[in-house]
Amino acid sequence: MLILRESSYIYVRNLRTWLAQPTMIVAAVLSSAVMYLFFGEPLRGITGLPGFPAADYQAFLTAMVIVMAVVFSGSDMAMVLLTDIMSGYVDKLLLSPVNRFSILLGTLAIGATRAIAQVVAIILVATAIGVRFEGGVAGILAVIAATTLLGVAMGCVGLIIAVRTRSVQVTVNSWLLFMPLAFLTSAFMPRDLITGWFQFAVGLNPIEYILVAVRTVIIDGWVWEHIVPGFWVLLGTSAVLIGLATYEYRRATN
Amino acid sequence: MQRPPAVLVQGLEKTYPGGTRAIDGIDFTVEQGEFFGFLGPNGAGKTTTIKILATLLSKSGGHVEVAGIDIDQDARAVRSSIGVALQEVGLDDLSKGRDFLVLQGRLYGVGRAEANRRADELLELVGLSGVGKRKIGSYSGGMRRRIDLAGALMHRPNILFLDEPTSGLDPQSRLAIWEHLEQLNAQGVTVMLTTQHMDEADRLCRRLAIIDHGRLVAEGSPGALKAAVGGDVVRVSFGPMDSPDGRADIALGTLRRLPAVQEADTTPDGLTATVDDGGAAAPAILRALNDAEIPVANLAVTRPSLDDVFLHHTGREIRESDADEDAESRVWGQWMGVNRR
Repeated sequence: MLILRESSYIYVRNLRTWLAQPTMIVAAVLSSAVMYLFFGEPLRGITGLPGFPAADYQAFLTAMVIVMAVVFSGSDMAMVLLTDIMSGYVDKLLLSPVNRFSILLGTLAIGATRAIAQVVAIILVATAIGVRFEGGVAGILAVIAATTLLGVAMGCVGLIIAVRTRSVQVTVNSWLLFMPLAFLTSAFMPRDLITGWFQFAVGLNPIEYILVAVRTVIIDGWVWEHIVPGFWVLLGTSAVLIGLATYEYRRATN
Repeated sequence: MQRPPAVLVQGLEKTYPGGTRAIDGIDFTVEQGEFFGFLGPNGAGKTTTIKILATLLSKSGGHVEVAGIDIDQDARAVRSSIGVALQEVGLDDLSKGRDFLVLQGRLYGVGRAEANRRADELLELVGLSGVGKRKIGSYSGGMRRRIDLAGALMHRPNILFLDEPTSGLDPQSRLAIWEHLEQLNAQGVTVMLTTQHMDEADRLCRRLAIIDHGRLVAEGSPGALKAAVGGDVVRVSFGPMDSPDGRADIALGTLRRLPAVQEADTTPDGLTATVDDGGAAAPAILRALNDAEIPVANLAVTRPSLDDVFLHHTGREIRESDADEDAESRVWGQWMGVNRR
C-alpha cells in the first residue's frame, strides 16, 4: 500500500516535530495532573450528595480529565498544522508526488498518537492516586481506543480551523470553541443533578454521551445502556468530522 | 525521436480570485539541458509562473507541458520529474538537515538505502556535511538555501525550478550556489530560475525571458538582448590642448564622418560615440582624432548591460530589493482568495 507507506513518512516527521518540543508534552501531562488537584480536592464533598453515582470523586473525574485533554488537543493540532502552512512546509509536501490523502492521513495519525500518549499518561496518574478501573484491563483498552478516535475527530476540527482561517490569531484562540464542548457536560456533576438550561444544553452536546460512556466504563464497568449511546455518537461524530476535514483538505489542495 | 522540450508554455494566464491578473498570456519554451532565466521585478509574475509549472498553483488558461507531460493530464508524473526550491523555502526548522533530505528523498520514492547514501553525497556537494545532524532552525540564510537546493536534488530530477535561489544572500554564498548550479547544468540538468539580479542572469543563463506586469517583454541570450538594445558606446576624453577653442567641434565633425559611428555627441571633457562594434571602431576613432591633431587622454568602450536592456523594454530600472513577491501569495492564500500584502 503506497498510501500507507507515504503517510508513514509524514507521520514519522510529525512525530519527530512533536518530540522535538518537549515543553508541549510536559505541559500536556502536567495540565491533566493539575486538573485532578484543582477540581478533585475542593469538590471531593460532592460525592456525599444524594444520587451521586460514585463513592470516589477522583474516579468520577478521571473521565472528565481524559475527555477534556483530548478535546483540547484539537486546538493544539490546529496550531501545529497552521505552523506548517505558514512556514510553507505544506507547500513543500504538495510539491512532491505523494498522494494528497497520504498527507492528510499522516497528519490525523499524529492526532491519534498524541491522544493515546495523553490518555495513557492520565491513566498512569489516576492509578498512582488510587483510582480503580471497574472495567478492568479491557475497559482501559476500550477507553484508550475510544479517546484515540475522539482525538482524530478533534484533530479534524483543528484542521478545518487552520485551513479555513489561516490565521494565527484565530487558531491560537480556538480553544474557546472547544470550551463549550468540554464544559457543557456532566464532567463535574452527573446530569441528573444539573438543572435548567444547562441540563438542556448538556443533552445537545455530543461529547457528553462520549464522556458518560467513558466514565461508566471507569466507575461502573460494562453497563451497556450507558455505553452504547456514547459509542454511536462517537462513531457518527468522527465519521462526519473526518468527512468534513477530507472535504476541506481537498478543496484547499486543489 | 526528438526529445520534448523541458518546458512548453502556450498562452498561460493566471487571474487570482479577487481579480489580480498575475500572468497575462505568456508563451515560452525551455529546451532540455538549457539554463533559462526568468528576469523581472517584484510582482512581475515570476513566482506565479514557477508555481504553476511546478503544479502548486492552478492556471486560469493556456497550455503547459513539463518534461513532455501535460500538467493537466498527470500532475503527479510532472512532480516526480522535477526538483523545486521556492523562495518561501518551507523548510522544517525542527528537523535535522540530514533527516530532512532523507525524508525528501523518500517522498519522491527513493529507497531507504539510496536516500541515505544520496543525503550524504548532497550534504558533501553543498558543503553542509559538518552540520547534517544540526536542526535546520539553527542554519544561516545561505545554509538554508543550500539544504533546500540539496532537498530538490534528492531524486535526481532532470529539470530544476528555482525561485530566486540567491536573494538575500551574501556574495560568498551566492557564488557557492552559482557554482553548484553551473555544475548541475554541465551534467545535463535543465535549470530554470527566476531572479531580479542582473549579474545573476548574466552569469548563469544562456537564455533569458524578461517578464513585467505578467507579460514577456523580451527573450533571447543575454548577448543578443544587449545587442538589440543598441550598439556599444565609445567614450573619449581629450588630453591637454594648446588652443582648445573649437577643437571639440572639429573632433565631433571628424567622428561623425566615420562610417562606423552611428551617433556622436560632446561631453564636458570629450565626446561619446555610439557604434556597432566598439572593439573595431576604437582604433579608427583614435586614428581619425590623431590625424585631426586632437590629443586623447582616455578611451573606453562600454557595452550595454542587462540593466540597459531592462530599462529599454520596461521603461524603468529593475528595483532590487529582497522583499517577498507580495502579490504572489502561496497556494493556501490563493485558495482563500487572500492576496497577502
